[in-house]
Amino acid sequence: MKLMTCPINGQRPISEFFYGGELRPMPDPATADDATWADYIFNQNNVPGLKQEWWCHTPSNTWFIAERHTLTDEIQRTYLYGSQVLEEVSP
Amino acid sequence: MKRLPPISGEWIDRHQPVSFTFEGETIPGYQGDTVSSALWAAGRRVLGRSFKYHRPRGILSLANHDVNTLMQDGPKLNLRADVVPVEPGMDLMAIHTFGGVQGDRATVLDRLSRFLPVGFYYKAFLGKNQFPFWERVIRSITGLGAVDTTTPRLRTPKRYDFCDVLVIGSGVSGLTAAIAAAEAGADVVVVDENARAGGSGHYQRGDDGERSRQTAALVAQVQQHPRIRLYTDTTAAGYYADHWVPLVHRDYIAKMRARAVIVAAGAYEQPAVFRNNDLPGVMLASAAQRLIYRYAVQPMERAVVLTANSDGYRAALDLAAQGVTVVAVVEMRSQPVVTDPVRAVRDRGIQILSQSCLYEARPNPGGDGVASVVVCPLDADDQPQTGFTQTLACDGVVMSVGWAPTANLLYQAGVTMRFDETVQQFVPDRLPAGILACGRVNGVYDWEEKQRDGQRAGLAAAHRLGLVDTAPSLERAIAPECPSHPYPMMAHPKGKNFVDFDEDLHYEDFIHAVQEGFDNIELLKRYTTVGMGPSQGKHSNMNALRILAHLRQLPPDAIGTTTARPMFHPVPMAHLAGRGFMPERRSPLHNRHAQQGAVWMPAGQWQRPAYYHQPGLTRQACIQQEVMAVRTRVGLIDVGTLGKLELRGPDAMAFLERIYTGKFSKMKVGSSRYALMVDESGVVIDDGVVARLAADHVYFTTTTSGSARIYRELSRLITMWQMDCGIVNLTGARAAVNLAGPRSLSLLQPLTNVDLSPEAFPYLAVRQGAIAGIPALLMRVGFVGEWGYELHVPADQGQALWDALITAGKHLGIRPFGVEAQRLLRLEKGHVIVGQDTDGLTTPYDANLGWAVKMDKPFFVGQRSLQILKQRSPKQLLAGFTLPERFQGNPPQECHLVIHKGDIAGRVTSIGYSSSLKRYVGLAYLQPELTAIGTEITIRLTDGSMVTATVAPTPFYDPDNHRQATVSREEAFV
Amino acid sequence: MPLRLLKFGLSQTYPEPRMFRQPDRLKSHYDVVIIGGGGHGLAAAYYLAKDHGMTNVAVIEKGYLGGGNTGRNTTIIRSNYLTPEGVKFYDQSVTLWQDLAEDFNLNLFYSTRGHFTLAHTDSALRTMRWRAEVNKHFGVASELVGPQEIQDACPEMDLHCGGHLPVLGALYHAPGSIARHDAVAWGYGRGADQRGVEIHQQTEVTGITVKSGRVTGVQTNRGNISTNKVLCAVAGSTPRLLDMVGLRSPLYVHPLQAMVSEPMKAWLDAIIVSGSLHVYVSQTARGELVMGASLDPYELHSTRSTFDFVEGLCTHMLDLFPFLSHVKIVRQWAGMADMTPDFAPIMGKTPIDGFYLDSGWGTWGFKATPVCGKTMAATVASDRPHELIREFSLDRFERYDLVGEKGAASVGH
Repeated sequence: MKLMTCPINGQRPISEFFYGGELRPMPDPATADDATWADYIFNQNNVPGLKQEWWCHTPSNTWFIAERHTLTDEIQRTYLYGSQVLEEVSP
Repeated sequence: MKRLPPISGEWIDRHQPVSFTFEGETIPGYQGDTVSSALWAAGRRVLGRSFKYHRPRGILSLANHDVNTLMQDGPKLNLRADVVPVEPGMDLMAIHTFGGVQGDRATVLDRLSRFLPVGFYYKAFLGKNQFPFWERVIRSITGLGAVDTTTPRLRTPKRYDFCDVLVIGSGVSGLTAAIAAAEAGADVVVVDENARAGGSGHYQRGDDGERSRQTAALVAQVQQHPRIRLYTDTTAAGYYADHWVPLVHRDYIAKMRARAVIVAAGAYEQPAVFRNNDLPGVMLASAAQRLIYRYAVQPMERAVVLTANSDGYRAALDLAAQGVTVVAVVEMRSQPVVTDPVRAVRDRGIQILSQSCLYEARPNPGGDGVASVVVCPLDADDQPQTGFTQTLACDGVVMSVGWAPTANLLYQAGVTMRFDETVQQFVPDRLPAGILACGRVNGVYDWEEKQRDGQRAGLAAAHRLGLVDTAPSLERAIAPECPSHPYPMMAHPKGKNFVDFDEDLHYEDFIHAVQEGFDNIELLKRYTTVGMGPSQGKHSNMNALRILAHLRQLPPDAIGTTTARPMFHPVPMAHLAGRGFMPERRSPLHNRHAQQGAVWMPAGQWQRPAYYHQPGLTRQACIQQEVMAVRTRVGLIDVGTLGKLELRGPDAMAFLERIYTGKFSKMKVGSSRYALMVDESGVVIDDGVVARLAADHVYFTTTTSGSARIYRELSRLITMWQMDCGIVNLTGARAAVNLAGPRSLSLLQPLTNVDLSPEAFPYLAVRQGAIAGIPALLMRVGFVGEWGYELHVPADQGQALWDALITAGKHLGIRPFGVEAQRLLRLEKGHVIVGQDTDGLTTPYDANLGWAVKMDKPFFVGQRSLQILKQRSPKQLLAGFTLPERFQGNPPQECHLVIHKGDIAGRVTSIGYSSSLKRYVGLAYLQPELTAIGTEITIRLTDGSMVTATVAPTPFYDPDNHRQATVSREEAFV
Repeated sequence: MPLRLLKFGLSQTYPEPRMFRQPDRLKSHYDVVIIGGGGHGLAAAYYLAKDHGMTNVAVIEKGYLGGGNTGRNTTIIRSNYLTPEGVKFYDQSVTLWQDLAEDFNLNLFYSTRGHFTLAHTDSALRTMRWRAEVNKHFGVASELVGPQEIQDACPEMDLHCGGHLPVLGALYHAPGSIARHDAVAWGYGRGADQRGVEIHQQTEVTGITVKSGRVTGVQTNRGNISTNKVLCAVAGSTPRLLDMVGLRSPLYVHPLQAMVSEPMKAWLDAIIVSGSLHVYVSQTARGELVMGASLDPYELHSTRSTFDFVEGLCTHMLDLFPFLSHVKIVRQWAGMADMTPDFAPIMGKTPIDGFYLDSGWGTWGFKATPVCGKTMAATVASDRPHELIREFSLDRFERYDLVGEKGAASVGH
């Protein structure tokens, strides 16, 4: 099956991983209006492209970020959250 | 008998005869025969009946590229007789006949064929009232083999396998590729679906042993090479991401992870299309050659060879060498390249009819074999000149008109193919990293060039793996001869010139489909069903594409191909299925429950006691007894399946504040609090109890089914918020019980060093100490509404705790109680069960849990959404209800609807009979206007009758919640 | 022998005309442009012409007619949903389905088989009862049945499921049916085409122009069209289309896979679904078992196949039907499911005038083809959302007004 590289445990089969959805910044709840907040809660960046995503290696409970292209399923790199300066990924 | 004298390199073992039955007749064969080869050797010609017209069929490809010869052996259905080895005791029948393969009555459909053109079933049977009848008729005459519903579940071994380079196909290009890669240092696996390696070099001899000798030498080299493993009888069923290829053997399946894949799978020989090309005796040239060189079977007595390449001439020479009279070679090309086999055929005096075609095969009187063929010259436009025919008597036709690449796995791997006019086939154009192709699938047909091509591919794979420095050029040499005729098809006014033998599609079906507007390759496929039969287009897709290209006057590249998908050959479900492990989690107290007569119920992955069976009592009676034990004496329940999480660190309390709706930062050490969790959209997702053990140390519970999910998500939040605390999942590490009832204090005190007096250990307090010498966490909780303690101990001491409590409680009338009793007890208190009294959209406000939401905190997950939701009027509210005390009849059940003025106004979420209150009590969602205390609501039962209930406040039992906080001395049995 | 087939034997030339024309160019203007030539888009075109007399309509399809999810689903049709709005909507669809073949004069192999949603836990039984009660309330024939009724309808099923999670009961839905999915696209396509709608295949929309909050035109790889009404019905491609007009949505696209066995003699009449085992299966008139399971676990805009899918589904198929060990799997494929947070579609008007949306069909779209076409046609024609689809509007999310369908689609099909 497909392989994913856990930053701690190395290359493992995808069945060992849980997909946690896109890494998205949360608007400041104190200042966001209702419409902005509802957009954050429900709307998605659902156009295919390179995404930063939360993934968890469940046997070791390691959460990390994967940069994966959601059209080709190509995983470009994986790293622990906070270990890289998170640049804007180009679409 | 058609068995030939021993042939060098034959696969049969004449010292091991094997006989079997086919359609009731005993057939002799040898070890190494396939069912078809043994049948053909025994002179049988009709091996099956076609799907739609039930026409007699014999060998076409002998390569599992067609299903002319599907058979059934007991429970084994849809066996491919062409490739299944004979075994003693086989009792075979052709599938899908009505009266046996010789006397199939359904052949009447062949004579009705003009009423049954392509897509006919879309044009008829469509009346609403008539369709069910016609569908029954259709279902009785479709299907292939029959499944035996008594077949046991078979378990096929699974393996995992690894290699550097996987080579698919052991023809000469695959063998040289493997050797080149292995010589460079790669660990190589070669797979071949055939019983032996070597590919076409073994049998496309042209009555010349040179190629088969070279092939055998390469096979020997591969077999002896220390870094090459050769798996025969093994099919690569598909290509999946990251070079994951399932290798299917008859007895097991191996899931192979490669680091590079070389597809050397060759090409499918293609049939010519002419009237009656499906008669037994008409076969592909490679089929005839396989019959001769693998199984020593003479394919026919008088042959006509139809050809458009040198392979046909080789086949003619092979036939002639085995005593077959080759009546003529019908050469379709106007200017054939004169190669050695062409010269050899001329030299032997075999008649060659140039620039001609086969227009039709004529059946014998029985209609089950060839009697003659009609040959026409072709004009300058390659059209048959039907005014100038000649008839040649023969009993077999050998077709060698072209090939289609076995590119399925290349397509699946993302290779783009382009049509190459010089070889009249699709060839790989752009290949992803780690995927290579060589040999015929790569458009290379020349014997020497195939080996160079294999070498290049092997070195390229080695280069990809970093084993060699320079990558070889992958350029193909120009082909000296085009191996495939661009259009080996002759229309005929009477039809029965088959394009897809699986689906009984003949040439005009495609013309008609295009006429009806199904004129792109996908629509053509779906309307005609070409390529949708069990062979999935191996012998038919290319010709279909050619027809469409011809009708639309477009090049093949513009037509495109349909999607190649796994499985390459159909794979039995037993091979694909896992063993069906369903993990079952058991509490450390499992054996105690079993000993007590527990009746089990699943709770997520766990098994929990629903109740404990007492002889002579009904389920309901047992549950009520357990409930009364808790209310009047003391009960013990295993709550070890609850999620148990522990947070430590300076940010522990701050983290808790952010994940739950309530406030915890000011909790006293040694106290506990109910905790409600909502998701970002404000929907209730879990609840539990938080116990503060130290300033920076909390221990908290989740629901049984939520624990893994909650633990995982909280871990993510700690990571994302970069908080200075750590979380541990102690669910499996702790056993936990709830000791509940008025006598619980007096039971527990003698066993523990913790002061249980109400002043020292108030309601909701948390203490740590020892119980019966076991280190324990004690919490006073209120879920069932009685004085009680939740006790958490290390899992391996759970049984000891249980035993100690049961022993100590004997004289107090202790009773173990299960999940059903607990559900009733909590219902009497009006407590919500997340997932039963809440669903995927319930907010705290809907479920009467608004009190657990503290908006005056800086932040918690779901807060902002709850601010929005709080402003809206809820559509439904959870309320308590009771039935009258003397209620008779069937009570409502969970999820029965509340009906008001004929509309749905709510639903019951929990209901149970309260012995303490002597009436049914329950919880229901109701439209807000119905929730006033005392409102009468009607609940509709399954049979449509209505039950009246009254909205009542909760808790139903002990409304002021005294009993969990206080208890009289008498009740405490002190 | 049905009389209709006689014409084939008795005429010299093949008597069948083209089912759909292939117009060689786009006009410069259409009253309505429907993006997406699958079942939904073609159905909308059909009803626009038939019910509303609107024929200056173009259906623009990037690939071939019906080549998206319409050609990939597992063909289950039912109305046993959880919410009143869902039940009413899908029940209307079932009503339309029953006459569709006669309306089209095309056999759709619409076969009413009965549908069992198996319950393996108490909580599943409760949910089945909920669905049954709501269904019955609206006159839809569903009921909660016990193991005996299931065994009677399907004697071959192993109710012990290989030793784990035995079947406790099921939601039995008598109107549950299957149909030949491709033929539905052809029937709607032909019907629309015959009434003057133009179907343009191999035509890709490259842009949509919006001026002052209103649609003014569509750009394609074969030319530009001016129009004031665009219906977007492209399932898994919806996010890309919405991006062209700057609209956001809660859609998330995951692959949904399926597989088919070799044909075998008929043995399974009913349609069987198990939420716990993540299995659904039916047997076609040809004798093949068509099987599916749950959604792929992560976002991917692709129809690629995985081996894990086949392994897991075969395991659970053998749990239910252990005797299928020798039956072979021939082929697997996938579609792209446009999922929504509340398992209900997104239909109707949008903030952009003249831009109508039919999307959010996740794993529940094929059965809705007729009612979707009918209601979207009415919505486009009148510029008012049809009453059956009001609860499915795009703006329900910003109002936190989600449809309560989550219970219905545990493995929803």
